[in-house]
Amino acid sequence: MSFKDVLKPFTAWKNLAIEPVSIKKPLERQAAPRYRGFHKNNLEKCIGCGTCEEICQNAAIDMVPLDGIETKEGDSGLRPMIDYGRCCWCALCVDVCTTNSLTMSNHFTWVDTNADNFRFIPGAENKPWDNEELGYKKPENYELNNPYRVEMVEIEPEQRDKSFLEIVKGFSKEQAIKEADRCIECGLCIATCPAHMGIPAYIAAVRNDDMEEGLRVLYETNPLPEICGRVCTHKCESVCAMQHKGDALSIRWLKRYIADQVPAEKYKEILETENIKKNDKKIAIIGAGPAGLSAAYYLALLGYNVKIFEALSGPGGMTRYGIPEYRLPYDQIDKDVDYIKSLGVEFQFNTRIGKDITLDKLHEDFDAVFAGTGLHLGRSTRIDGSNHEKCYQAVDLLRDVADGKSINVEKKIVVIGGGNVAMDIARTLARLQNQKYGKVQLIITSLESEDIMPADLEEIVESREEKIIIEPAWGPKKIKIEDGKIKGLHVIKCLSVFDEEGRFNPKFDENKKEFFEADMVVEAIGQGMDLSYFSEEMQSRLEMTDRHKVKVDNNCQSSIPWLFVGGDIVAGPDVISAIADGHRAARGIDNFLSQK
Amino acid sequence: MTDINKHRDKFPQKNPDGTNIIDLKSGKFIKVWQGPNHPGITGNMSLELTIQGDEIMECKTHVGYLHRGFEKLMERRRFIQCLPICVRIAVPEPDFNEYCLTSTVEELAGLKIPDAAKWMRTLLLEMSRLQSFLMWIGGQAGAFGLGIIGQWSNYVRDLVLDRFEEITGGRIYHMHMIPGGVRGLTPDGFEKRMEETLQEIEKVMKDIETTMFNNSIFKKRSIGLGYIDPSMVFEYGVTGPNARAAGIPKDVRKDYPYLKYNELDFDVITGKNSDAFTRADIRRKEIHLSIDLIRQMMVKMPKSGDYMAKVPNVLHWKIPKGETYVRAECTRGEFGYHTVTDGSGYPRRINVRGPSYTHAVALMEKLAIDVNIADTAGLMVSLHTYPPEIER
Amino acid sequence: MKNLIERLKKQFKISEVVFQRDNEIFLTVEKMDAVSMITQLRDLEGFTHLVLLTAVDWLEEGYFQLTYLLNNYEKKTDLGVRVKIDRDKAEMTSIHHLWKTAATYQRELKEMFGIDFPGSPRVDESFILEGWDNIPPYRRDFDTKKYSEETYFPRPGRKTHDPAEYMKKKLYPED
Repeated sequence: MSFKDVLKPFTAWKNLAIEPVSIKKPLERQAAPRYRGFHKNNLEKCIGCGTCEEICQNAAIDMVPLDGIETKEGDSGLRPMIDYGRCCWCALCVDVCTTNSLTMSNHFTWVDTNADNFRFIPGAENKPWDNEELGYKKPENYELNNPYRVEMVEIEPEQRDKSFLEIVKGFSKEQAIKEADRCIECGLCIATCPAHMGIPAYIAAVRNDDMEEGLRVLYETNPLPEICGRVCTHKCESVCAMQHKGDALSIRWLKRYIADQVPAEKYKEILETENIKKNDKKIAIIGAGPAGLSAAYYLALLGYNVKIFEALSGPGGMTRYGIPEYRLPYDQIDKDVDYIKSLGVEFQFNTRIGKDITLDKLHEDFDAVFAGTGLHLGRSTRIDGSNHEKCYQAVDLLRDVADGKSINVEKKIVVIGGGNVAMDIARTLARLQNQKYGKVQLIITSLESEDIMPADLEEIVESREEKIIIEPAWGPKKIKIEDGKIKGLHVIKCLSVFDEEGRFNPKFDENKKEFFEADMVVEAIGQGMDLSYFSEEMQSRLEMTDRHKVKVDNNCQSSIPWLFVGGDIVAGPDVISAIADGHRAARGIDNFLSQK
Repeated sequence: MTDINKHRDKFPQKNPDGTNIIDLKSGKFIKVWQGPNHPGITGNMSLELTIQGDEIMECKTHVGYLHRGFEKLMERRRFIQCLPICVRIAVPEPDFNEYCLTSTVEELAGLKIPDAAKWMRTLLLEMSRLQSFLMWIGGQAGAFGLGIIGQWSNYVRDLVLDRFEEITGGRIYHMHMIPGGVRGLTPDGFEKRMEETLQEIEKVMKDIETTMFNNSIFKKRSIGLGYIDPSMVFEYGVTGPNARAAGIPKDVRKDYPYLKYNELDFDVITGKNSDAFTRADIRRKEIHLSIDLIRQMMVKMPKSGDYMAKVPNVLHWKIPKGETYVRAECTRGEFGYHTVTDGSGYPRRINVRGPSYTHAVALMEKLAIDVNIADTAGLMVSLHTYPPEIER
Repeated sequence: MKNLIERLKKQFKISEVVFQRDNEIFLTVEKMDAVSMITQLRDLEGFTHLVLLTAVDWLEEGYFQLTYLLNNYEKKTDLGVRVKIDRDKAEMTSIHHLWKTAATYQRELKEMFGIDFPGSPRVDESFILEGWDNIPPYRRDFDTKKYSEETYFPRPGRKTHDPAEYMKKKLYPED
């Protein structure tokens, strides 16, 4: 210590002459551009998935309804309300937000005398920071989840275009768990699924590698998981919250994965259906399609004696006779059906109601009847030449292929239609062409332009991979016939398919023409129902909807009380709606008979 | 400092372990409490002092005023959800919690983080050390009656917090490190503003050095206070500047180079006298070292590139069963997380090793004996303790 | 490090050796061998720094795991010594004579886990939880959520909705 040490501290006095460094108006201080201040939420973009609530470790977020936000498919109608008494501004809610709608402003000063005002719905209460550009946003290239799906392995086009081997290989265990891991368990998909399957629950089962639990969840609402796991229209995936980040989850393939893992002989044990107590009531089911099978399953679980009458020689309905084997192998249909059979459900094939047995007879012999007869009549374009013998209906051809009948494929084929049935028949015929001629000469022409073609995108892509030519936006005009043989199809340009009100009302440009050479034409523009098994008296009592479907109540009960109707003749057409109908009808029949 | 031993006969006799023999019934002793409200340190803890005259005869540390059970709370949080909690374990220096937690999680999950993220974390940790030292220097000076130092150092500390705000969006709790990487790199023009800040700190440090370290009052009160014998370093688990002041070059950054410290050029700062003044001097040098390290990083750090590894869905991220310990050199010494996982989506147990745990309890109780009551605050700050890390 | 483990194996009952990192090993030792091994590690093997002493409650398996994390400052290596002790009779020999700081750890473990260390200074004094009358709170069977729900009260007026449940109510209530 020295004398210097006594004097030196006095140099601090020099600060008296220096301007103070403190911020003069702290309330007006602008925070950094990345500052984590009060939340903003883009209410239009937000889908109310609740992931923000899920990750908030302070339990600061509640999902609440909001006036003007409607609950609809893919949007729960709920919006996050934040309690700033609990929020710790960590911004994990911003990072996990599936739609990136939730962000933060860099506002951090707000004075209010009422503590309750600090609990509000960001974006809904016109806060001064709602339009603030600056503030924390989820950084680029930074994800707390994998936004992209695990790619499904398919057989290469060169290997598949000559055979009917199943194209999609299915997930391995590792792939399935990785894909299931992406699910955020918001459950938005449940409402969209016609059968309201417990999707997050069975995905969780995949994640936990608990296949038995997975199977139990599947069978709660869907007794045809092998079928659905392959050909379901997967509407659920169209509302998956993860699609806003990247890809929707492969929900359908995960369902298939579960069903594929469990051997058929273990089903009864897992699902605890070994000892079902039977009652003495008898139910007749017309049609062994998805609706009928589903109804039969749930009725059998309730102890009813169920008998299914099927016009064709095998079970599955459209899933067997309308969907090609490369998409849905027959043995997988059999796996689902055999389990239902093992519960005591009787099947009588090659029996057409209305011809072999009358509906009235069924009514006499059984306590209730369920009809799920589907759409098996192909619609025709009714253009010139469409009554030629080489102009076929897609559904008829697909049925013949499934039945093992040989089909006389020609060298050049034109398929009319832009839906999945058109793709199915085209790809089936292309395989047969390849087997017979060693090359594919097949054109699909649809009314719709490619962006609005109803077929699934992967169907279009795979068709092209199999060397099928797709010619969208052409309207069929006339089939050219020379010397009694089909020579091709005249088409004109289709400008638009739907009018401004969204009704089917195609407009054409007659001057833009094209001619597709062909020896064979297949029409795949839709199917109709065959209700000829109803007697005239019954048809008069049967109420129909404006859309020419059978009118039923919520339990699939028709205007004839003992008659329950479901499947494609009521809604759809698609497999999962039919399954849902079957389930509802089973419940309806149970109610109906227990009230009797 | 009064030399107690000269007048030993007037004071209680010693036990063999150096503690005093105290007979409260004799009426010669008074018990007083220092604390719990801010006895010269950051946070709440209290000292139960038995005094005779103005000398401390016995000291007992009492904690529990801040206990929020973070370690237990984390056991029912997903790994990602632990982050907003863990930062609160060392309030003035939260980044070490983020680093230690994320790196134990990454190690147990087998996750490699990108290079840019490592640089970013090193920068954040070093900035955190810098601002923590600046806060400490104010406390140390304040405890010896030099209130103005705290005003100056907190001004420049605020400038460092401004830089934190730019990078992370938060001033105190940054929560910028996430298992898998960091939440972003430095914004445009950051180097320039950082350099300006560092220059401002150097300017203020010059003033502080003149008024504090060349100050007869500070010197008189701190020299010889709270002597830690080198033999006590291991017995009492002393780490950081407290150990380095005793001449033991313990520095996790050098001993176990983590992140990017092996690519930075620096020497471990040690001292000889092991008293409050030496410790203060070491921390003063550490401030200059931090400034130097940040300058080095500003040159070496990548300005772009991946900063986040691909992580599974954090909402149900399960980490295999395991146990690990990760340490880092915070301003107070060795800071570490001992994380045990059981294969579920939640940690089985997270134990935080805060350096204050040993410094403020066993060591403080030992050093306080025979110290003048007016010097206790100065002594405690010279050990640089943060109570929240004692009672996580 | 491998040599050290081999040496220790000859003297003590060691199992579950995990090489977590090049310089970090965890191993389990029998309860009766623990203190003598730790003493030997400190005095002969250079593990002079007690980094931490902590416990893990393996409720399902019925034991507490104590981890003594020792650090060899010269060789820059860490050794985590795990000791399994019976959960019902949670007691362990004290090591306060080896490190002064150990007493603090042991006092905390007594309070938070109910693990007794007979002979450790002030082990029965409360450390953090003055006036605590519940089971030791860091035990797994102490439910923090239940405790906070019973002890504190939530802010009134809060209500949340599960998206899936809410959509069912709104879109298909009858199903």
